[in-house]
Amino acid sequence: MTVARSNTLGACTPTGWRRPAAAFIFFGALTAALVVLNIGIGSIAFSPADILQTLIAPESGTTMSAIIWKIRIPRAIAAVLGGAFLAVSGLLLQVYFRNPIVGPFILGISSGATVMVSFVMLTTLTVGMTVISPFMTTLAAFIGAYGVMLIIVAVAYRVKSGITLLIIGLMMGYLCHAVTSILTALAEKEKIKGFVLWELGSFSGFKWSEISILLVCGGLILLLVYLLSKPLNAFLLGETYAASMGVNIRRFRILILLCACALAGMITSMAGPVAFVGLAVPHMARLVFQTSDNRILIPGVCLMGALVASLCDFIARMLLSPVELPLSAITAFFGAPIVIGLLMKRRVEL
Amino acid sequence: MDNNNTRKNPVLSCRSLAVGYKDKTVLSDINLSFAPGQFISLLGPNGAGKTTLLRTLSRHLNPLAGDIAVSGRPLDDISPIELARFMAVVLTEKVTPPLFTVFEFVALGRYPHTDFLGRMGPHDYETVQRALASVHAEDLGRRAFSDLSDGERQKALVARALAQEPQLLLLDEPTLHLDLKHRMEVMTILRSLCHSQGVSVVASLHDVDVAAKVSDRVALIKDGGMTAWGMPETVLSGPVVADLYDFSDARFSTRLGGIEFAGNGHKGRIFVTAGAGTGALVYRMLVKRGFAISTGVLYTNDVDYFVARSLGADCTARPPMTPVSQGALAEAEEKLDACDAVIDCGLDDGGGPMSQGNLKLLQAALKKGKPVLSLSEGGIEKIGHAGPAACWISCRDASDLVKALNKVLDRRVAANQNKQEAMSEMARNSAKEA
Repeated sequence: MTVARSNTLGACTPTGWRRPAAAFIFFGALTAALVVLNIGIGSIAFSPADILQTLIAPESGTTMSAIIWKIRIPRAIAAVLGGAFLAVSGLLLQVYFRNPIVGPFILGISSGATVMVSFVMLTTLTVGMTVISPFMTTLAAFIGAYGVMLIIVAVAYRVKSGITLLIIGLMMGYLCHAVTSILTALAEKEKIKGFVLWELGSFSGFKWSEISILLVCGGLILLLVYLLSKPLNAFLLGETYAASMGVNIRRFRILILLCACALAGMITSMAGPVAFVGLAVPHMARLVFQTSDNRILIPGVCLMGALVASLCDFIARMLLSPVELPLSAITAFFGAPIVIGLLMKRRVEL
Repeated sequence: MDNNNTRKNPVLSCRSLAVGYKDKTVLSDINLSFAPGQFISLLGPNGAGKTTLLRTLSRHLNPLAGDIAVSGRPLDDISPIELARFMAVVLTEKVTPPLFTVFEFVALGRYPHTDFLGRMGPHDYETVQRALASVHAEDLGRRAFSDLSDGERQKALVARALAQEPQLLLLDEPTLHLDLKHRMEVMTILRSLCHSQGVSVVASLHDVDVAAKVSDRVALIKDGGMTAWGMPETVLSGPVVADLYDFSDARFSTRLGGIEFAGNGHKGRIFVTAGAGTGALVYRMLVKRGFAISTGVLYTNDVDYFVARSLGADCTARPPMTPVSQGALAEAEEKLDACDAVIDCGLDDGGGPMSQGNLKLLQAALKKGKPVLSLSEGGIEKIGHAGPAACWISCRDASDLVKALNKVLDRRVAANQNKQEAMSEMARNSAKEA
């Protein structure tokens, strides 16, 4: 690692607090600015004064109020939460597998969710349901995510090599994709469109009910994850050392995976598979905060995730407005070069 | 785990312990127990099960049978945190925590002592500093852990374990991949932990000679069990060590405290006159280069005698403080007769019985026309021109000696070949005549 440490504090203080504090303030402001932009700018232009008016005193019934309160604000919040959850999920998986190139998307968790969602979205009519309830999609995504996770964990017990694990994750992704494409081929036309749109990934169309689920459940999970930051730090040395320092490995393992899957599963079920946020953001956060200490990194990753997702969503909406670009494409354009660059320079290891 | 208890009870004890994996027992029927502040070495060949035993003692593996008690309490009754405050481990597994300074890395060892978020108080900072100081690594504190050399990393690993403030330290191959300097440094650190801080250390080691010198107890692990347990002074004898590692061409010498490599002697046999330590290096050099050696007459308290014996030399030796008898000389001369060359290591004990004996043997060698290579100061005059001067070759040092020896032996081989050719020609001729 060639990163120069800018630790200006005395030898007694292991982690400098100035850099993280400055980074939190800077990137926090940036994220807030992006959220404001996401609310303020869209394919239909409103004047800032009007928007402010609508925000302060929402009048029900007007188009503008509906657009702001039912479309833009939920979407901006969804982007923030989605980015944060996916990034924390990625961080947890990277620590768990002690491998820098894992993330919820790479390990096939998103693919697992996709398969199950495709079962629900493409085959419900044949089963006899007329309305696809969002609850069904969410549940399916969860089952899919956990299913793939279980397989990956079972394999990871036997395979220690990170590359092997990665390849197995990719293969799981292919298998899921194969199932999905067969289902697509067999499905009716009208359904395919909805599914394809879901599969592209987007933070649009979030309802307030979904936002509140994300806020409450996700918030609780994030709190739990933060409380796990001490054993997570111990886990950086590997399972055996962590156990020798008093970490209850079995309980801790289950907790990490449950949290990582729940976070990624929640977002995938509602927003569709979003690539690279979970993989790239933890690396960006490590670079920015210059630490692997999870007590700083967990909030840091939340912030950076929110920032990246908001930015990507903004680009997806505005680049070719009014046509909306698939979110995963934008995050991949962002994430893939970053990851490649990081790995080539070997500036970040895990 | 209060202090009273610790004092009364052995730090660690195992009773008919069997270790291994679900479908494979690696070691069985292990009984051991030791008091605080002792250095315990586990010795044995690779794959014997030292690591498996250590992993079982540290509760990473469940024992297949038997009991382990820590400070008199069954291992299973102790909570993870409580155990972490009592026992720390250093493993061979490579750790590469990213973006960690050495101080932060060592501070991770405070895990069992800090609150639920791992916040460090003044006492924790002090303990980490002390741990770094115990391994002489105060100056490493602010370096990045990933930039450390192997030796520095090992010290940091030991410091991390010490930050747990353990009473028992388990180390798996703590000197693996280290150069001699760091190997000695790590061993010194570990030993001083035992002696000055009262920490008990259990380490699996590769160097028998080091283990013999630092350990209070050794456990020999081989063939699915513990073949011996006790003080290294009583347990580690030459045959026991040779058997432990299955070596046939090397010997462990208890008195020399090291391993000597015996050769196969395919290049011929050399007679060496030595004594008072003049021969040890020459013996080793000859054996290394594939010669067999005969030597004499040595006293049995001479270091040359111990070296020669552990190298498998054919020795003529007599008890110390006795005159070198005619019988001994005759015995040595017989051995000398069977040798291709003689080396005189240049012992000068001021005309004492040993150099007198050597002198007589050298004279005998010259008379028989054996080449004599001498490392002594004096030339052939020393032994009074007892034979042809061409047979006497003075050598300045070991490299000179080797060159001269090769030349002498080449000549002899050539001479032998000529002789053989002549013989076979004669045989052919006589056959023709017939």
